[in-house]
Amino acid sequence: MSGLLILLSFLLLGNLIQSGLALPIPGSIIGMLLLLAMLITRGKTPQSLQSISKVLSPLLPLFIIPVSVGIVTQKELLAENGISLLVIMAISLIPGALVCAAVMMVGKKS
Amino acid sequence: MTNILQQPLVIELLHTPLFWATLTIGAFIIGQRLYHLLGNSAFLPPILTGIILVAVVLEVTGISFDTYMEGGQFLHLMLGPVVVMLAVPLYQFIHVMRKEWLRISLAISLGSIATVGTAVAMTHYLIGIPEITVTMATKSVTTPVAVTLSEQLGGIGALASAFVIVTGVFGALIVPPLLKLTRLDAPKAVGLSLGVCAHAIGTGRALELGNEQAAYAAMAMSLTATLHAVALPWLM
Repeated sequence: MSGLLILLSFLLLGNLIQSGLALPIPGSIIGMLLLLAMLITRGKTPQSLQSISKVLSPLLPLFIIPVSVGIVTQKELLAENGISLLVIMAISLIPGALVCAAVMMVGKKS
Repeated sequence: MTNILQQPLVIELLHTPLFWATLTIGAFIIGQRLYHLLGNSAFLPPILTGIILVAVVLEVTGISFDTYMEGGQFLHLMLGPVVVMLAVPLYQFIHVMRKEWLRISLAISLGSIATVGTAVAMTHYLIGIPEITVTMATKSVTTPVAVTLSEQLGGIGALASAFVIVTGVFGALIVPPLLKLTRLDAPKAVGLSLGVCAHAIGTGRALELGNEQAAYAAMAMSLTATLHAVALPWLM
């Protein structure tokens, strides 16, 4: 359980810093970066964090379903722009994948 | 059907928050079973099945999203700690990428700029609704971060989730054959591209291709989410 306590403490800290400094970055991301800094400083991941990570990771998609169901409130928008949005999402992948893979391979013998 | 829905007990049930939380968990489990049944295909992630099932029940019963969310919020509450938890895999990947950190950082940032830049520019010119353009900017980030980020930036959380999932399925479909065609198909390159372009769903696809692809995809997914979450608020 102390793993969950660590996560919630860092989340609270991140939220406080976010509102205190009026930063545009979400509090949970600030909390994540602070936790990362702590892990780097300590040089290893505490057992309690590894355990909670094993429990929560497979459930991650479940926690996203509620907000995603909100798509039912966007029917008009989708009826009007759905096709354009699909085309945009498909086409924009091409330059991304090509650039990314090219940088990984440039100047390397295969 | 309408008759059943008008029974007092059914009406009461449909307005019980716990019912909707329970239904969501049930829908997710059905999604998982279906995913395993189809040999863990990247094209039907459990989350997609879960969303569709819940949305269909809402449509049939005529219950509003706000009423649903009174139950859904119990699960939604976990999004914050789960985003903080991403530090755990990220810390492991930082160790792995030490040797090639410059190349990997460049590939991830330039690849992100290319795909997000194209998508944002196209959305701006073809659709021109600011909330949608902002939301589109979060399309290549893993869902929990995309939802949090788009709401922070003035976008629409539900739409962000839809964009991310569709992008993930498209990416899993398009990226491997595209890189094969252009002969940019070294395992590391394919893995990294899948992670940058198609996040968790791409990582699922990479797992089918091989261990090296999967490791690079998972690393790219974590790094992309962090990079975008930190950079986008200043850019948008």
